[in-house]
Amino acid sequence: MEFAPSRSLSLGIEIELQLVRAHDRDLAHEAGDLIERLAKKKVPGAVKPEVTLSMIELNSSIQTSFAGVLAELEAQRAVVCEAAGMLNLGVCGGGAHPFHDWSERRVYPAERFKAVTQRYGYLAKQFTVFGQHIHLGCSNGDEAVYLVHMLTRYMPQFIALSAASPFYQGEDTAFQSSRLTAVSAFPLSGHMPLVPDWPAFLEYFETMRGFGIVEGMKDFYWDIRPKPEYGTIEIRVCDTPLTVRRAALLAAYAQALAAWLLEERTRKPAAAVYQVNAFNRFEACRFGYLGELVDPYTRRKKRIGEDILDTAAALMPQAARLGSVEAVRELTETVRRGYSDAGWLRSRLAVSGSLPDVVREAAELWAKPDAAAHL
Amino acid sequence: MQEIAWFLPAWPPAFGELAQFGALLIAGLLGGELARRLAALPRITGYVLVGVLCGPQVLGLVEGPLAAGARVFVDLALGLIMFELGHRFDLEWLRRNRWLALAALGESAGAFLAIYGGLLYFDNPPLVAAAAAAVGTATSPAVVMLVSHELRASGQITERMLLFTAVNCVFAYVALTLLLPLLHLEHASGWRAAILHPLYLLAGAALLGLAGAHLLLALARWLGKREDRQFILLVALVVLVVGCARALNLPVVVALLMLGMLARNLDDDHVLQPLRFGHAGQLLFVVLFVLTGASLEFGGLGTAAVVAAVFIVVRFLGKAIAILALGRLSGLRAGGAGLLSLSLLPMSGLAVVMVHDTATLYPSFGAELASVVLSAVAVLELIGPLATQFALKHAGEAHPEA
Repeated sequence: MEFAPSRSLSLGIEIELQLVRAHDRDLAHEAGDLIERLAKKKVPGAVKPEVTLSMIELNSSIQTSFAGVLAELEAQRAVVCEAAGMLNLGVCGGGAHPFHDWSERRVYPAERFKAVTQRYGYLAKQFTVFGQHIHLGCSNGDEAVYLVHMLTRYMPQFIALSAASPFYQGEDTAFQSSRLTAVSAFPLSGHMPLVPDWPAFLEYFETMRGFGIVEGMKDFYWDIRPKPEYGTIEIRVCDTPLTVRRAALLAAYAQALAAWLLEERTRKPAAAVYQVNAFNRFEACRFGYLGELVDPYTRRKKRIGEDILDTAAALMPQAARLGSVEAVRELTETVRRGYSDAGWLRSRLAVSGSLPDVVREAAELWAKPDAAAHL
Repeated sequence: MQEIAWFLPAWPPAFGELAQFGALLIAGLLGGELARRLAALPRITGYVLVGVLCGPQVLGLVEGPLAAGARVFVDLALGLIMFELGHRFDLEWLRRNRWLALAALGESAGAFLAIYGGLLYFDNPPLVAAAAAAVGTATSPAVVMLVSHELRASGQITERMLLFTAVNCVFAYVALTLLLPLLHLEHASGWRAAILHPLYLLAGAALLGLAGAHLLLALARWLGKREDRQFILLVALVVLVVGCARALNLPVVVALLMLGMLARNLDDDHVLQPLRFGHAGQLLFVVLFVLTGASLEFGGLGTAAVVAAVFIVVRFLGKAIAILALGRLSGLRAGGAGLLSLSLLPMSGLAVVMVHDTATLYPSFGAELASVVLSAVAVLELIGPLATQFALKHAGEAHPEA
């Protein structure tokens, strides 16, 4: 397995979106109709089916800056919303549909998805959750392995920043992000082993393939993983935010963070990172910014929100070079105010008292051209 | 013997309507399940067949007082169906998708013109042909609603089937009502009645629906978003509007469709919760279709076979033309237009009601109309649910386990 090198710190995004019916705001089964309709339109990047008929995935092309990501996402959003409107479908962000019944989900009619359903049973349908994946370009495999190890320390930040799945199966889970729990049920979830470099990773991969456990990288459902065929590493912990703007802000923050980690090199990959990982991940999912994170390097506890602000302050020089100072500021400002998409969803429920209304408002929010004022 | 006989009932005992009604429900229930298990037919077909069997033409068990007593349930069932159908009529969708609006109107107009032309060609009087065409434009709301519930169907074909049915029911009623002036004049009842009668019917039903919708929304707002409370409110409003329409001699179906449509499209603050029928709804459906089956008339089928066949074929073609022409433009996937046309085939109790309403006004004309329409209804009552089920299953919109 070759690591196809790509431009260091280039950006790519995948966003999984919910399709909802107009009359009761439950998940629709019309991904096929929508994708067929979009096939005739000029859409930048790509729109793809996902495992159930209730979701679609937007893929960006390769980008280098926050502005580029945002412009492309916005263009995609507009085309998709227009096409969905013709079919009377709502499109919305968020990590999970608040009240759908997983047993109602229908699997997209393609061999790959049928195989997944056959293997994983109800997990496949329960996996109707919606995430944002951020790809960061790496110039070689060693850089990718290094970045995966170093970024793992910061995954709780991304969980808290993107958290948008407080409701699941009609209940308030008390979590900021309930979506990641659905991922944890898969046998190959978790994290990459602490390998020192790309050859060592390949050795691990070949061992697993020898056991017949995996066939390719896509079989690992890790929070963050190398993607050698794209020449990237892929951050997979984020819930899909409620707006394209927040999705682009998260990408900009990830890019600046990676740039900082590649330059500073004051710390080394450490076993302690993975020892505290499960605890930190839970704190982020459950409490968001208010969760307590154990810093594996300083061995002290601190609030995740505070950790984000400290990190953002440190990476400003890199953000300046990447042209994303404003973006990082905008994102940290929401942290200061305690804003999260999960909190917004809860506040809407408090007003209306009805989960279908929450879905309707989330779809209206997604449909707004550049919902900056919302954040 | 005589000293104990005083507490025994007279022989044979006089089973009241309640016992008969219960027995009918059981028969319908069993018929539905048998149809499904033995022949993979829609449950509705089983209900209807049980109705035919118990009806006056075979066993004669369902007649007179029972049919009258069950009338309440039929009204409630039809009322809820018309309301839900109206509630699925989404004006916003039609605004966004003009091709869809055009297709919906085209479907109704196409069916009307095709039947009218077909019947004229076979030497029916123009007025009879026009009235039959108006009646035939409507798809059976009860059948499409019940089949889609039974299959737990969800998708574009299902949504559009319900939308088109709402539109063609309104079209049918308006068309039939607008024919009234001609009937009045033909039967020499004066120009004043000719103008004021249709105006009273349409405006009256619309106003009644509007008043009901405002009352419904106001009360729902006050109750809050509680599904259980709102369900009771809804049933109450539906029954109330049925009763008022009946008392005022207004068309019940139009009033309820208007109630549903306006409740959906005037609800700017989204106070109404999404609506679910549940088991109570199922019960009403069984009664509705058993009694519909009992009221079918196969007697004329021998003599009117040709007319019925022409009626059914041209009606289907008329409905299909606009859908096939505008399907892709309005966002249907390849193959969807044919399935949608097929799903709109059912014709049912609504047509019977329309014919009877006309017959109440003009008995001789009503008889002529009945001879043309009712045989086709009897056939479509049995084929229609199958067509709808076939279409939704082949569209991949039925729940895999339904």
